[in-house]
Amino acid sequence: MALTTAQTGLSRARRGVAPGGAGRPANRKSKLTAQTSRTFFWLLLPSVILLVLIHGYPLIEAGVQATHDGSLIEAGNFVGGENFATVLSSPAFWKAAQFTLLFTIVGVFGSWLVGLGLALLLRTKIPAGGTFKVLLLLPWVVPIVVSSTAWNWLVATPDSLIPSLFRNLGLGTPLFLADPSLAALTVMVFKVWVSFPFMMMMISAALASVDSTVYEAASMDGATRFQQFSQITLPLIARSTYISWILMTIFCVNDFPTIYLLTGGGPVDATTSLVVLAYRTVFQDFATGPGVAIAFLMTMTLVVVSVLLYRQIRKSSVE
Amino acid sequence: MSANSSSAFSRRGFLGFAAAAASAPLLAACGGGSASQGGGGGGNGVIKFWDMPWATPAYNDAAKKIVEGYSPASGNLKASYQTIQWNNFYQTFSSAIASKTGPAVSTGGGFQAFQFEKQGQIAYADKVIDELKKNGQFDDFLPGVLEPFKSDKGYVAVPWQLDMRVFWYRKSLFEQAGVDVPKDWASLLEAGKALKKVGAFGFATGSGAGNNIGNHSMIMMMVNNGGGVFTKDGELDVMNDRNVEAIEFLLELVSNGIVDPASVSYTTENLNAMWKNKKAAFGPYVLGVPERVGDTSGDIVVASPIAGPHGDKGGLVFPNNIMMYTNTPSQASSEAFLVSYMGQLKELWRQKLMNALPVFKSITEIPEFASDPNNVKIVKEWQPIAKTFASQGTVLNDNLAVLDGGQALNQFTQTVLTGKTDARSALQAFESGLKSVIKK
Repeated sequence: MALTTAQTGLSRARRGVAPGGAGRPANRKSKLTAQTSRTFFWLLLPSVILLVLIHGYPLIEAGVQATHDGSLIEAGNFVGGENFATVLSSPAFWKAAQFTLLFTIVGVFGSWLVGLGLALLLRTKIPAGGTFKVLLLLPWVVPIVVSSTAWNWLVATPDSLIPSLFRNLGLGTPLFLADPSLAALTVMVFKVWVSFPFMMMMISAALASVDSTVYEAASMDGATRFQQFSQITLPLIARSTYISWILMTIFCVNDFPTIYLLTGGGPVDATTSLVVLAYRTVFQDFATGPGVAIAFLMTMTLVVVSVLLYRQIRKSSVE
Repeated sequence: MSANSSSAFSRRGFLGFAAAAASAPLLAACGGGSASQGGGGGGNGVIKFWDMPWATPAYNDAAKKIVEGYSPASGNLKASYQTIQWNNFYQTFSSAIASKTGPAVSTGGGFQAFQFEKQGQIAYADKVIDELKKNGQFDDFLPGVLEPFKSDKGYVAVPWQLDMRVFWYRKSLFEQAGVDVPKDWASLLEAGKALKKVGAFGFATGSGAGNNIGNHSMIMMMVNNGGGVFTKDGELDVMNDRNVEAIEFLLELVSNGIVDPASVSYTTENLNAMWKNKKAAFGPYVLGVPERVGDTSGDIVVASPIAGPHGDKGGLVFPNNIMMYTNTPSQASSEAFLVSYMGQLKELWRQKLMNALPVFKSITEIPEFASDPNNVKIVKEWQPIAKTFASQGTVLNDNLAVLDGGQALNQFTQTVLTGKTDARSALQAFESGLKSVIKK
């Protein structure tokens, strides 16, 4: 409500209309507009300065590094797009890009599906619901270092709990982190496990705003459960869904610790994502320019994806 | 040129500002004593010494005590102590050096001195070496320890400890398998087959997240066979016959199940657990494995060096060093402090805080060190034959930082440990990976 009032006020201010009424003298309108602009300017200035300092400067510096051949200490000589060309012609980059794409798709949709299922489940009355909710939040709350260590204990060696279970069931002894395909799968499952509580909370918040009478009306009209879900629930949480997808896409593409702590990008680069590749290129191979170029390409891709998803939010007509 | 200068200036200025801003609350939290720190290499007349957490926190406390107890001669500056975490340490040093807020003297990564030397940030230690000659410590260095640091322009750094890779074994597992401890590669293969029958691995290693023992295992076996990644002149020489032979042997160990198939993903914790749980029977590792895994039964002991098929023997050593930087409030004070600190090193081994060999013979003779038969064996049998990553050459350089922990070596190691390759293909991929990142 306050926001609505503020927006109305802002809208009025933009139109030069005073709060008291529609018809006021022109000089009064311009005075108010100028005053409002000045106020906004001074209120925003600290944030703008901080943003420029914290985000703008490193971005500019990264641009310098990506187009030079030096080190972290000195940028070196200008080489134009050579670092980008080096990166784009490297098979390692495309392998990492492929893994990043797969990791992101599984991470976003896997965690969304699990989160959606649990959010719907939590709408129903279940015994010890509060405790259940807290338990479900744990993967998100626990520091990633702790989670990855726990997962390592669960799967790393042939004598770890899960490989032992497989062995006892006569299913062999899978080496979850040593086999390239299984390691990639394990990292993705780990990501879904870590991320679903976030999705669950986003969707729960969206579901909480849905009026239950809508379902009653649909039910009276003879809509099935599935029709209610697909025609009411999904559209009503569409905005929240798109926002969560944007955020989770960014989280997945930029996710360094989940992968690095569990597999280090291995075995044989099977789980090397772009962010891990960028890190290793800069800090293990000490190739600053190409490493920063990878990071730049990632940023540009994320901006494009975010803009596309944001447009979907605007298209979504459900308020 | 002007663009570079401008960029460097703004970066330096910004980093300096950022470092100062970031350190303000930290310094406030540290109390008045730390307030004297700041500025390049030790603003306000202090030699800033940055040290890595080389061992348990007790090590850092002891090292700090040494630094704080340093009384400079008249005219020289006092010193301050700061621990720098290993995580992203290269970035930490680089940012600080770029912003002129770095240390005057530091320990660091094994090849860090050479990396920063190339960028003109290292102060040569020739005068320190001269002082060590005068006070007798020069002659106290173990053989072959100092030479790797002498470049054309002077001593890049001063070694202070040796991080060794040696073979360890578990006596009880060999007894259980009814085989002798390997003396050469052939007996290693046979012992491995016998150990497999009792559920143990005859070549324990690991190359999972953050674990570089696998990488070191590869180079160690090459060195053990008289090979190595570089020629005597420092040129890349990955495809030499001795390396091929060493990797073929490792692949044979893998195909016979003598190397744990899961080891490709083992972290150091996983590897420690293998030793602790009597799954690891023989393998290369760092000093102090019993203490590391918490086994005080005396069952885990150092093996003697084994011979390759041509009779060569060799281990791997990382001579960790202390370096000085050009950005210092007083070069003479940096040198005086370093000389003094080298003279106090004995205290760290006297308190049994180090999991590394000392560089001075006199320290290897103190009772606290010599009472451990594993230490004595390493000094007597391994140190004289140990070679650095520069092998087949001896002089260290900045390219070794790229080799150590770089993507090329890690991918090569993991490829070999998975066994899905042949020696030549793996080495060729390794060589091309190195060529793409090694600077001429």
